[in-house]
Amino acid sequence: MSGLTAARGWRTARITPLSDLLSPGRITGRAIRLAVQVFLVVFLWRALYANVDIKAGLTEVMAVTYAVLAVLMVDTRAFARFGARDTVIQHMQSGTIVYWFLRPLAPQHYYFWRGVGEQAYGIAWAGAGCVACAVAGVLGPPASAGAAAAFGGTFLVGQSLLYYLALLTDLMCFWAIRNNSVVAILAFTQNLLSGAYAALWYFPEWFRFVSQLLPFQYTIGIPLSFYVGRIPVADFPAQLAAAAGWVAALAILSRVLWYKAVKLLAAQGG
Amino acid sequence: MIPAMDSGARPAVIDARGLVKVFRTARRATGLLGTIRSLVVPEMVAKTAVDGVSFSAGHGELLALLGPNGAGKSTTIKMLTGIITPTAGEAVVAGVVPYRQRERNARNVGAVFGQRTQLWWDLPARDSFRILRDIYGVSPADHDARLREFDGLLELSSFWDTRVRHLSLGQRVRCDLAAALLHDPPVVFLDEPTIGMDVVVKEQVRILLRHQVEQRGRTVLLTTHDMTEVERLAERVVLINHGRIVMDGTLPEIRARFGSAWRVHATIDMRSVAAGLEPCPPGLVLTDRNGATAVFGPDMANPDGVAGLRGTAALTPHQALKLIIDRYEVTGIRVEESDLDQVMRSAYTEGMTSVPVNGGW
Repeated sequence: MSGLTAARGWRTARITPLSDLLSPGRITGRAIRLAVQVFLVVFLWRALYANVDIKAGLTEVMAVTYAVLAVLMVDTRAFARFGARDTVIQHMQSGTIVYWFLRPLAPQHYYFWRGVGEQAYGIAWAGAGCVACAVAGVLGPPASAGAAAAFGGTFLVGQSLLYYLALLTDLMCFWAIRNNSVVAILAFTQNLLSGAYAALWYFPEWFRFVSQLLPFQYTIGIPLSFYVGRIPVADFPAQLAAAAGWVAALAILSRVLWYKAVKLLAAQGG
Repeated sequence: MIPAMDSGARPAVIDARGLVKVFRTARRATGLLGTIRSLVVPEMVAKTAVDGVSFSAGHGELLALLGPNGAGKSTTIKMLTGIITPTAGEAVVAGVVPYRQRERNARNVGAVFGQRTQLWWDLPARDSFRILRDIYGVSPADHDARLREFDGLLELSSFWDTRVRHLSLGQRVRCDLAAALLHDPPVVFLDEPTIGMDVVVKEQVRILLRHQVEQRGRTVLLTTHDMTEVERLAERVVLINHGRIVMDGTLPEIRARFGSAWRVHATIDMRSVAAGLEPCPPGLVLTDRNGATAVFGPDMANPDGVAGLRGTAALTPHQALKLIIDRYEVTGIRVEESDLDQVMRSAYTEGMTSVPVNGGW
């Protein structure tokens, strides 16, 4: 009974987008920030390719496309979620987390609907950004139709991974209320290892080996590598299976942590 | 099974039996070595926040849970709302053990925790109400009808389309009260709901609470430091201190026990008391005298010295008046009673000692 059906859950899912719509300044700020970031990465990668001998198997167009897409995808969720003052850490610090446990909706289900809404909203932003960048001529097309399909498939699984990674970070708040430093370190690590700052192909062999042992590259690096054609479409099933395996593992881990977090709250209070 | 009864012999809607809550926290050591040791092997200390609290409240009853800061009121409420699990004892709220059947309990209870809002910060209050309507599965017709009712009592419509972050404290708390009641819970927990509010808004909230108790039959458990609120609303008061119940009774009973600051000012025809005013009537002491005006107070050193009143803690002002009029030729008399704030101050300081509970004092 604890779940919220889609017919009723949409209102919970739209909390963040609606909050943003009611704060036009926030939307303008985000648009400006993305525009500046895109401009800078385009400028950076074009300058690099013009002046430095780079041997990563990526042409300038591929590198710029990768970098632009990475900027648009890197915070499909993170930017908007704190503005709505409805994150676990914000509730833990203000003591309002108790209300999550006073409703006939399990906190994990409420969190799920909030996550769905925030990520759909973030994807809408990324989509709008893609259109604007394509029109501006800084975003190349996918390498092939197959590459586009592989990108779409791995991107969606990557979004599930992002959801669980954010959830695990949030759940840590139950044990360490002031986890801002941990969040900052995790965000940097995740962005670096996911290939958001630069495609992993540019990094040394040992770094790529480490990143292969972790889930982060499946959130951005792998989908974008399919898009620019750096990974052959034939690898799609294997990559998708690996990403799905990580999703399953993190889902189990987050379930265990939710259980322990609820027990901890029941023992220690809000 | 025979249902538990509240002190007024109504079937208990809230029934707390021997609730105990012990928190375990890490003690911080001093010095560099101590800090490192605390990080590796933290020394855990137990703190008893609630220690054997038992009380009950019936259908349509407003019960005030009072006590100084840190007395254990909020912890008790958190156990009764199912947020935290008691270390020992048991609670049943509207037929549900709240910490075992949390989601079922959530449908039966509404709660407001002081200035902590459950509304969504960036949304108009009315959007928050709609989200809660979906979460609780309330039909649109019921939702609209209840919202109209709360609007009539709290004047919500003048600001419910304003984003919560822009509401004043009073407006926000009124919205929070409505949010806590929109799913029509039989039991409502209010932890200092009017803290920081102006007198006009406080009065509106009191009217709402009275309406909810008297017209809707809700059981309300209220904690507050506002004694006017207690006087205006509470039928019964449970006093708690250091995690233990100090007293459970009505306001007159609390006044009688802790309101020792009352004084009777009597103008006496001195010709009728040639031998002097003393000895005073049993249970009374002469605290001041100015010519024919004498001031009497309760004899706290000998509270049982009144014939026929054995077992009582002290005289009530009414009993004192009667004794004084019977004993002296009185030409004028007035009672100066301590206000409830003074009574509670006295209760909080005197209530350190263990006292029989549930009206058995």
